[in-house]
Amino acid sequence: MCGSCGCNDDSPSAIHRFVRALHMPAPDRITLSLEAKLLAKNDALAAHNRTWFHERGIVALNLVSSPGAGKTTLLVRTIRDLQRTGSIYVIEGDQETSRDAERIRETGAPAVQLNTGTGCHLDAAMIARGLDELRPAARGLVLIENVGNLVCPALFDLGERAKVAILSVTEGDDKPLKYPHMFRAAQLVLLNKIDLLPHVEFDIAAATARARQVNPEITVLCVSARTGEGMAAWYRWIEDCSHPGHSA
Amino acid sequence: MHELGITRNIVAIVGDAALGRRVVRITLEIGARAGVQPAAIAFCFDVVARGTAVEGAVLDIVALAGDELLIKEVELEEVS
Repeated sequence: MCGSCGCNDDSPSAIHRFVRALHMPAPDRITLSLEAKLLAKNDALAAHNRTWFHERGIVALNLVSSPGAGKTTLLVRTIRDLQRTGSIYVIEGDQETSRDAERIRETGAPAVQLNTGTGCHLDAAMIARGLDELRPAARGLVLIENVGNLVCPALFDLGERAKVAILSVTEGDDKPLKYPHMFRAAQLVLLNKIDLLPHVEFDIAAATARARQVNPEITVLCVSARTGEGMAAWYRWIEDCSHPGHSA
Repeated sequence: MHELGITRNIVAIVGDAALGRRVVRITLEIGARAGVQPAAIAFCFDVVARGTAVEGAVLDIVALAGDELLIKEVELEEVS
């Protein structure tokens, strides 16, 4: 006779099997302490990229913004104004097309286009592959244009010296409060398209205060990539990045 | 939706650690400043776990205040 339910062992019924399963001792369970950081793989690859840049004296900047803030126009202007002073390389991230890389190549600067497909951000492995193709010279400047998105790129370290957030005055001046992760991760905010200020309701002082509210260390510069206004301060900021001792 | 990629990471890391044992429970720690939506992880988990060692496991998400983003521990069934 079955010790679990009292039925006849010779004719095990479905109920017998069910009841016996209930009476079986629970399988041993063990708990493994993993403490596994979920972005550890990306962080390790980013550290590798950072070392690679450092050994060559290359400054890499990760430009992030929502779509349409003027990242590519800002890059084109920056390259045209600075390319006589040193080598500039560009890694372009977009879900689809190579339109941005083509715009950059028209300036004469080497550029690679990374298409993320459905992906919403660049990661450190993509940058490593981009660098294999781009082969930037020592002491060059590598500008990485991330996928237009104020959310996901905040999380992924690429090995850059700094993240630079671009916020255009045609967007809301409350964006730093709405997307605090990005403004916390960035060292610099460029308030772009200031030539349009007479036509839009954008409060520079409010935007600056809100950016500092989420990140008291952040630097804020007002620029117009179209007219060139304020760009000299941005170029000085890049130059300061190249100096040893600049906080990374 | 970077949560999908992060969930794939969870399933891969736990699957490697399980060494063929059935995974009963996974405990995650996610900080409010991690930039990751716990609800989106939970949403992706069932789909990503399907057909893996992790299928059917309970996902416990402990909400913290900082930028934590890690798999704290996993509970496994020992093969007898």
